[in-house]
Order: sequence, then structure tokens, then C-alpha cells
Amino acid sequence: MTPILADSAAPRSRTQRQSILKQIMGMPAGAIFLVFMTLQIVCIAGALLYPNEFRYLSPQNLTILMKAVPVLGCLALGAGVLMIAGEFDLSIGSVYTFTAVLMASLVGAGVSAFVAAPLGVLAGVMIGLLNGQITIRFGLPSFIVTLGGLLFWRGAVLLYNGAVQVRFDPEPVFTSLFSGTLLGINAAFIWIVLFVVGFHFLLHRHRFGNHVFATGGNRGAAEAIGINTNRVKLVAFAIAGGMAAVAGILATARVGSVQPGQGAGLELQAIAACVIGGLSLRGGRGSIIGIFLGVLLIHTITDVLLLLRAPGFYLDMFIATLIVLAAIFNHLIERRGVA
Amino acid sequence: MSNLLELHNISKSFGALTALRNLSFHIGEGEVVGLLGDNGAGKSTTVNLISGIHKPTDGYLSVDGKKTLFTCRSDSADAGIETIYQHTALVDSLSITRNIFMGRELTDRFGFLRQAEMREIAMEVLQNAVHISGIDSPDTLVGNLSGGQKQAVAIARAVYFKKRVLLLDEPTSALSVRETEALLNQVLKLKAENVSSVLVTHNIYHAYQVCDRFVIMSHGTKVFDVAKADTTINQLTDYVVLT
Repeated sequence: MTPILADSAAPRSRTQRQSILKQIMGMPAGAIFLVFMTLQIVCIAGALLYPNEFRYLSPQNLTILMKAVPVLGCLALGAGVLMIAGEFDLSIGSVYTFTAVLMASLVGAGVSAFVAAPLGVLAGVMIGLLNGQITIRFGLPSFIVTLGGLLFWRGAVLLYNGAVQVRFDPEPVFTSLFSGTLLGINAAFIWIVLFVVGFHFLLHRHRFGNHVFATGGNRGAAEAIGINTNRVKLVAFAIAGGMAAVAGILATARVGSVQPGQGAGLELQAIAACVIGGLSLRGGRGSIIGIFLGVLLIHTITDVLLLLRAPGFYLDMFIATLIVLAAIFNHLIERRGVA
Repeated sequence: MSNLLELHNISKSFGALTALRNLSFHIGEGEVVGLLGDNGAGKSTTVNLISGIHKPTDGYLSVDGKKTLFTCRSDSADAGIETIYQHTALVDSLSITRNIFMGRELTDRFGFLRQAEMREIAMEVLQNAVHISGIDSPDTLVGNLSGGQKQAVAIARAVYFKKRVLLLDEPTSALSVRETEALLNQVLKLKAENVSSVLVTHNIYHAYQVCDRFVIMSHGTKVFDVAKADTTINQLTDYVVLT
């Protein structure tokens, strides 16, 4: 009996494995998932084979990774929702700095961090709404409007604060809530995982998410069916601004101070993470898991190159290559989807 | 046969341009009306007016004999009118199920989607209400469908939401011969279920196959209104071409 079972089981398991591979590739973030897992397996194998030369699995390295991911993660989640709705926000890097400076200086003036942090998020939401209003009211490309926002809020930081760093001394409870550890896991990392889960449900399981995809995928169709696409876009702009402020809170709580120049270039990294994660630049396509994997991939590659002591410019070149490859891949998938 | 929808002396101007002048016609219950006319005759303006995108400058619409004013799309949707556009109003990057329920999602009271239920309904509508060949799953992305299949999904949406009038704006212009046949049969099948249709087209042959009555427009007004029994395809062609 046993040999017969083994005989018949072998081919079945092979076809099953094939279909699972196909299924993964067919999922919105399937390809990026495979790339990510392959990279993880290679890194873990490398770390096990050369534990002294390649310290990928060392507690210090894992802690660094967990601390690095949440900031870009928050920015990318906000930027990603907006991208799926068919718009861009280039100002999130500046908004991230501006709201962090606002929060830190409020705390410096004696306001509780538990009041200052929500005020920072509120400021981010308001800036997002302003970007959205200008974009929609005047029918402009959001790329241009938020490029203006990028420069404006960068300047506003210097006007408000000057080019000096701001210390951030909140209550200890606040610090441990956003940069402490729970069961050995960094608090900020727990926050980002919660945000990913929350955004996943909002975008893929909630009516609002369906409207976001419809708005970005075919605005005319969404309007014809009675969806208020302007309102959807406005909410998406607000989410992008709000999440930029949340990223500012996480970064500031970790470091204990704000540098006025710290947000420069982060908006592009956030968009890069989205593109690597399978979002279409034209909107209407993508997934939250993809965005998160895009962020993880950027940070894993950065980390590996640092561990290998590669010079800094390799980082940019690697990420750049990854973005272009991801964009080409997405474009091929889109073409196949439409044909 | 009572009149489901009536247009009374409707005029519509856009600034100095008069798109419609004194247009009156009606759509009966379970009736298929062909709205014919050459390019620029005012057919599209009429469709937009009935579906609530435009408001008439003068005149009014009535539904079931009651005077109404459509100020937006959802007003006409509430009255049971579904417009199926030339470039069908579907989102390529979403599944069939999500397209059918787009803007009218079934949700719990927190707004979360009842996915299993929507999927089941979509499957049933696809299999029973509209028979579409080549679609095996409601999870298929609409972008992967052919033009005819997309129209069928749009019609399935109208059927499920129990619409009384389908406005089909140039439905056959992007379809293959076989798909056109299937679509026209679909219109007849819906007619048997007492759903009216308005076929807006300049393909007189397609209209002649299925319509009960023809309304021919020229320069923003009605020039001919005739039942199929009282006319020939040649006479219709003459009216479209010569007026």
C-alpha cells in the first residue's frame, strides 16, 4: 500500500507546487514576494555559512533593520494609496520634516507629546488636503502642485525654525510607546505592521478602497457609476499627508531630535518602494502588501550592501536599477492585463 | 402599453450652441427604441440628458407619467435608468465582481465588503441572467475580457440592479459580428423580461434587427417617429441621410 501511495503522491505534489508558484506570480504582489523571499534565503544562507564576515542575522543588524523600516514604510503607505487613486505627492518628505519640527518645538515649549503628536498629524492631514484642493480645483497635475509643496514646506521649516536641530524631550511613556521594545521587537516596527494590516483592510476589504481603485483605474467609469472621485482623491491626499506626519513621529521618537534637512529625498524613496511593490504610475493597480515588501526590499538591499562594506554610491545605483527593472516588469504585466 | 419615460419639448443649449430643440418622444414599458441619426444630430446630448448628466434648458422629463428633474446620475439610476457607454464604464484593473458592485458595494455597517456574498451573486448573474461565453470566474480582471464580454458585464450590472431602461450608447461600434449578435439577442431577452432599451446608434441595420420603434433625429430635433411595422429599412436610411 505504501509504495503505491508514494508513487501517486509524487506527481501530484509536483503539479501542486507548480500551481502554487503560478498562483503566487498571479497575485498582485506575487513577483515582488518571490524576489524578496529569494533574497532572504540567500542572505540567511550567507549569514549561516559566514557568521563572522556577514552578520545579517546578528541581533544588532536585525534591530537596525526593524528601526529603519517603519519611517519609509509609513511614507510609502500614504504615497501608495494616493498613487493607486491616480495622484502623486512629492511633498511628503518636506511635510515629514515640517510636522516633526512642529511637534518637537511644541514639546519644547512645554506641550505634552500626547497633544503635540496628534497636532503634527493634523497639520500633515491639512497640508495633504491643501495639496488635494489645489490639484482638484484647478485641474492641475498633482506632480507639479506637490513639487511646489516640497519646496514650500522645506522653506517653511527654515523660516519657522532656522537651520538648527530641534531637541525632542517627550514624556518617557511616549518614547517607549514609539521607540521602546515589546518582546524584543522594536515598537516602531509593531506600529508599521499594525498600519500595514489596517491599510490592507481599508484598501482591499473596505468600500473606500474599492473606490480608490476605481478612481485610479478609470475615473470616467467611477464617476459614471456615481462615485465622487474628487472626494476619494482628497481623502487619499489627506492620508498621504497624515502618514508623512506619522513617519515624522516615529523618526523623532527614535532619534530624540529633528534635523531640518532630514526629509530630503525620502519622497522619491517612498515612490520607489511603491513602484518596486507593483504599483502602476498611472494608478488603479497595486497592493498594500506589495508596498510593504517594496520598503523591506529597499532596506534589505541597503543593509546587505552596508554589511558588505560597499561604498555608498553603490546603494543608489542598486536601488535605481531595481526601480527601473520593477517599472519594466509592471509595464509588461499591465500590457498583458489589457491585451 | 404605458409610457415609462417621456421627454416633453426638451431644448438644450450650451451657450450660443443649441444642441436640442423641442425634442419629444417616449419609451414604453418593455419596448426597444432605436434612436437614430447622423453624427451631430444630438443623440449623445439626449443620452446625457436622460442619464442626468445634463439638465434641460427648457422642457421636462416624466417617469411613469410623473414630471421629474434629473440633476445628477444617481437620480436617473434611482428611476431605474442605466446607461451603458460606448467605452463601457468599467475599471480594467478590477475583477468582474468588483465592477458589478462598483459604487454599490454590499458592506457591513462599518463599510467592509461582504466579498463572498458579492462573488456568489456575480457568479449567478453571469451564468443565468446574461450568458457570456468564455468567462469562467467572476474574479477575472475586466481588462482581460473582450469588448463584447465587457458590454455583457455592464449589462449584467444593469440586470442585477433591476433597471427598467437600458440606454445603450453606440453599443455595437467596438464589437465583432458574433459579439454584436449576442448583444442584440441579449436586448431581446431583456425585453421579454419587460426591460426597455434605447439603442443609440447610426447603424440602421443593427437597430432594425431588434427595435420596435425608431426615433430619428437631425439637427437637434426629432424628424421621424415610426413603428417597425410601418416602415422599411430604406425609408429609415432616407430619413437619416436626407434630413
